[in-house]
Amino acid sequence: MAVSTDDPNIFPAAPSTQPASVVPSQIWPHAGKLLLSLINTILLGSILPLVLFGLWWVAADRHWIAEQILPPPAFVWESLKDVLQSGELLGHIKISASRVAWSLLIGGSAGLLLGFGMGLSRTFKAYVFPTFDVLAQLPVLGWIPLLIIFVGIEEPLKVTAVSIAVVVPVALSTLHGIANIPRPLLEVGRVYQFDTLQLITRIVLPATAPSLFTGLRQGVMQAWLSVVFVELLSSSEGLGFLMAYSRSLSQIDMVIVAMLAIGAVGILIELTLRLIESRLQGWRRNAF
Amino acid sequence: MKRRSFNLGLASSLAAPALIGLGSSARAADGAKPTTIRIGFPGAGTSGRPLPTSGYTANVVFLGELEQEFKADNIKIEWKYYVGAGPALNEAFANGLLDFCFGHGDLPLIVGRSTGLKHKIIASSGRGGDVYLLTPAASQATQVADLKGKILSVQKGTATQLVLYRFLAKYGFTEPDKDFRIISQIADDRRASLATGDIAGTIDTPWGLEARGITKRLAEVHDDININAPGTVWVGEAFEQQYPDIVQRVVNRLVKVAHWSSQDANREQQYQWWTRSGTNAYLDNKKEWDRVKDLRTRHSPLLDDFYKAKIQKSIAETRQYRLTRRDTPFEGWLEPKYLNNALRELKLENYFPSQSVDGKFSG
Repeated sequence: MAVSTDDPNIFPAAPSTQPASVVPSQIWPHAGKLLLSLINTILLGSILPLVLFGLWWVAADRHWIAEQILPPPAFVWESLKDVLQSGELLGHIKISASRVAWSLLIGGSAGLLLGFGMGLSRTFKAYVFPTFDVLAQLPVLGWIPLLIIFVGIEEPLKVTAVSIAVVVPVALSTLHGIANIPRPLLEVGRVYQFDTLQLITRIVLPATAPSLFTGLRQGVMQAWLSVVFVELLSSSEGLGFLMAYSRSLSQIDMVIVAMLAIGAVGILIELTLRLIESRLQGWRRNAF
Repeated sequence: MKRRSFNLGLASSLAAPALIGLGSSARAADGAKPTTIRIGFPGAGTSGRPLPTSGYTANVVFLGELEQEFKADNIKIEWKYYVGAGPALNEAFANGLLDFCFGHGDLPLIVGRSTGLKHKIIASSGRGGDVYLLTPAASQATQVADLKGKILSVQKGTATQLVLYRFLAKYGFTEPDKDFRIISQIADDRRASLATGDIAGTIDTPWGLEARGITKRLAEVHDDININAPGTVWVGEAFEQQYPDIVQRVVNRLVKVAHWSSQDANREQQYQWWTRSGTNAYLDNKKEWDRVKDLRTRHSPLLDDFYKAKIQKSIAETRQYRLTRRDTPFEGWLEPKYLNNALRELKLENYFPSQSVDGKFSG
């Protein structure tokens, strides 16, 4: 029986090389799908805010709550435009953001050091953790009277108080992250006879990265909350001061403008953190 | 079955606290009479128990006049004190938690009206006063200009903010927020900051603090009509329209207490009562008020030309310093009929001297 190389059942056709002009037609549907899914996320995500906004509009229109407590959205919008144009809002944002940035730097490094120290060294943990655990229960507001005595009421007070608020979640998350490193990974390290540096860079850091970022996220959240709190007392600029001052002058629309600014900056920080996280943790496969 | 009933019990007990808030603060009425009258004071003192600080309106609390007046009608008097001072009082009124205010400063009063709060001015709670600019005891400053660029402290949103601005304007500083760093602190924090030297100056009563070696006086001004504005007694419009007879009886008692307070024989008693709030020491009250020869020039409930001119000037100042963004209409705000009725009934029409716009007392 003769077999011919033309018989496609025996010799299937070889894939021919794709000419360059075909490639875009493969990319476009893919990009289109991406865009569609992005629009889908945005649309679905904005249903709840739109409902709340509608509720706000109706409540202000029908005076369900006193106008001095809940101003109408139009008023808030005007005040927002006013204060953006005059540059006042940006000034306050810059000051609050710089305080948060400094506190994240100081508090974040202190928290990381504490967390790693307590996680990697049992003796260090034995000495430090009980005290740390007790002090961590104190809210930032509770520290402020003591801090005022030691550091005064100016910039150092704000940065110290907010740093304290950042140290706690960062240290705790780092500690738990290290505690949760799966034992098999460490055993592999021992098999390969890793020295301490290799142990830390190849096993500990990648394994604790998720907890680290969770801790950093919580730290950022705590920093924002605390910066507003701390600026409510003894301050003359910043978003917290803007909120407190506007409230004392019954300008609740400015309070809401300050809230929106705080939310906007918070979202920016969150997106930045997510970007960094995705770059550093591309190897992770999530269950959900 | 047990788990389901447990879950049900847990869920309903979580919801229960939400229902607690519903009933308590709303006005309870009984036909033509309210069951409570809620009266607010800005400021709560520092003695642990909230008490009013000074003025004839404070004496109303200590004399128990209103409790006496309304005992037969079974109407309870609720006294409310606000640590957040004037601004917190505005918020409480906006939430429908107050009927009267005995002694609102001009700035929060005007801010409240400009944001649409509906109240009627029925009397003045007092006028005049001394203003002292204090510095920490270790301060090297000898005149107000030495404080330029430094930190001053005042509780923003209260009448003292305007007093500070006017005081600084008197010394030539017309843009106080640019010439100084003015931060906002409540009274206790202000005094603590003076003690630690964290602020360079503030306005407060000096003698008690001086006796403790905390501060010294940098500058002082006594009874300057351009610096102090009169305080105000107001009633919420809704309450006034519903119970005008109650308002009249309250004003009658107020005038009676103002008359009692302006007698020299009652000075000591007042100084001691005012000390109980803890804000000012007995020394403060005695030194400041002993200098006042005729108490009727301070304990005056009149809504005379001076009062009207001062409130209108304060309205202009709030616009100038951009503390309000909407206009504050002055027409229709004062309701002097209750005061006039009270003065007539108690035969005190000519007792309190009325003050003209330039500060001169007459009659």
